[in-house]
Amino acid sequence: MVRKVILVEDDPDDRDLFIAFYAHRTDIKILPSVGNGVELISFLESIEADENLPHLIILDQNMPLMNGKQTLDYLKSNSRYSKIPAVVYSTYADTRLVLDCKKLGAGLVASKPIDDEGYQKMMDDFLKVI
Amino acid sequence: MRTDSENDLLAEIRRLQSQLDEANDTLDAIRTGQVDALVVNGHNGHGHTLFTLKTADHAYRIFIEQMTEGAVTLNSSGLIIYSNSQFASMVKVPLSNVLAEDFSTFVTDDCKETFDRYFHTGWKESVKGELSIRSGDLIVPVLLSLYKLELEEEVALSIIVTDLSSQKETERELTLKNQQLESLNQALINSNHDLQQFASVASHDLQEPLRKIQVFSKFLKDRSTPELSEQSKFYIEKIFSSAQRMRVLIIDILNYSRLSKDDDNIESVSLRNIIDEILEDFDLKISERNARIEIGDLPVVEGNAGQLRQVFYNLIINALKFVSPDRTPHIVISAKPVNFRELGISLTNESEYCCISVVDNGIGFDEKFATSIFNLFEKLNPKSTFEGSGIGLAIAKKIVDKHHGLIIAKSEKGIGSEFNIVLPHCHVKRNPNG
Repeated sequence: MVRKVILVEDDPDDRDLFIAFYAHRTDIKILPSVGNGVELISFLESIEADENLPHLIILDQNMPLMNGKQTLDYLKSNSRYSKIPAVVYSTYADTRLVLDCKKLGAGLVASKPIDDEGYQKMMDDFLKVI
Repeated sequence: MRTDSENDLLAEIRRLQSQLDEANDTLDAIRTGQVDALVVNGHNGHGHTLFTLKTADHAYRIFIEQMTEGAVTLNSSGLIIYSNSQFASMVKVPLSNVLAEDFSTFVTDDCKETFDRYFHTGWKESVKGELSIRSGDLIVPVLLSLYKLELEEEVALSIIVTDLSSQKETERELTLKNQQLESLNQALINSNHDLQQFASVASHDLQEPLRKIQVFSKFLKDRSTPELSEQSKFYIEKIFSSAQRMRVLIIDILNYSRLSKDDDNIESVSLRNIIDEILEDFDLKISERNARIEIGDLPVVEGNAGQLRQVFYNLIINALKFVSPDRTPHIVISAKPVNFRELGISLTNESEYCCISVVDNGIGFDEKFATSIFNLFEKLNPKSTFEGSGIGLAIAKKIVDKHHGLIIAKSEKGIGSEFNIVLPHCHVKRNPNG
């Protein structure tokens, strides 16, 4: 089964990297990325049928308007979206961020990889929480 | 032959001399408490007034003469009917001139109204208040304590005058010092705030571009291989490793600055468990170098487990790193009793402390750097031979300091180094396996 994955990320380079590193994978379908939590919510609200919702939400932590933690908090307290597995990734994932996100219901918290190997492993780990 | 007028004059001098003696005797008598009554010359020519001082008995009058405060007694119209010599010297007027003087003449003009109020109230109830009196050309701040005395013939108002000059001076200095302390405190809060701001900027904003330099230089190297010369690949590798180094530096500074925050997560920590965990992390490195690690009995200490782990992590990583390539690393970690005399410190509860030593056979360093190696960014070795940020030992020292302990380095170049960590609150627990 192909999993629909959406990336919530404001940095265009990181969006491009995401698409480039995962272009060859057949187990996932990368949905068009959104730039922050607010954009994600309006995207999710535009989906009428529940079966069309993404299987996995990947949140960057540092974003304008609504950062990773705030978005996670919103998703987990919303009855329609709380079941969708959500993970957080950040340039610098320290203990504080990991603990905070876990408490809010994040499936995983990861540091942004720097090479192909890192990206593939991160996605494999993310898919395990579904 | 003497003339009559000359004799008259001599007689007059003798008479005045005896009058002066008598006056001096009277003053002495007042001072020593032998007099119970005084005749005061009439004010503004209103005849003489007799004042008796029956309540001021001998002992108390001596007592009052010895006081450092001025003590005066006023009659109902505010005239001084008694004064100790201390008050006279406070106002820099001879004692004989103080007596029968209106007290308010010694009060500065701007305080006369205040004094009138105290004087008025003092007859009804005891009152205390501050004002200024004149002392020659000077103005002296004083505290007045007014209290009504019920004498047999008449009521009088007693006033104790306390010189506040030195107290005011101390108060002024104290206020000044407090202001200085407050502004220093504010500066400290500001700089702490700046540091936290910096930490948060460093954690994300500085690392983001560095990570991209790494990602794209790796892209360039891996995906454009055919077009790149070996020399170009070498340069790209340099870009990548420099960015990596910068990231390590940033994370280390971040960790160091976070240590400043109070983290009072104190628990019993088994150093043996900590060391075992660290060695597991270094598994690969240890087998690569075929390193030999010996661990003796280690105590349980009170402290922050994560921080103590960091201390030993930093020491062990150094012990593994700073070894010449032709030598097999050999590290001995053990606890020993603390001999404070050896350390040049005197403590009575020696048994509550323990010393953990980490000894290696590495490249060592000159003993003259034994203190400075704990400074931030202090590095004794060229980057090309031994990679590192120069923060590891600074972090170790800061953590040991926070645990009220000591860290002492000893070394001999080419032979090895020894780091001794003295920690309080130790419970020595024997390793059951010996």
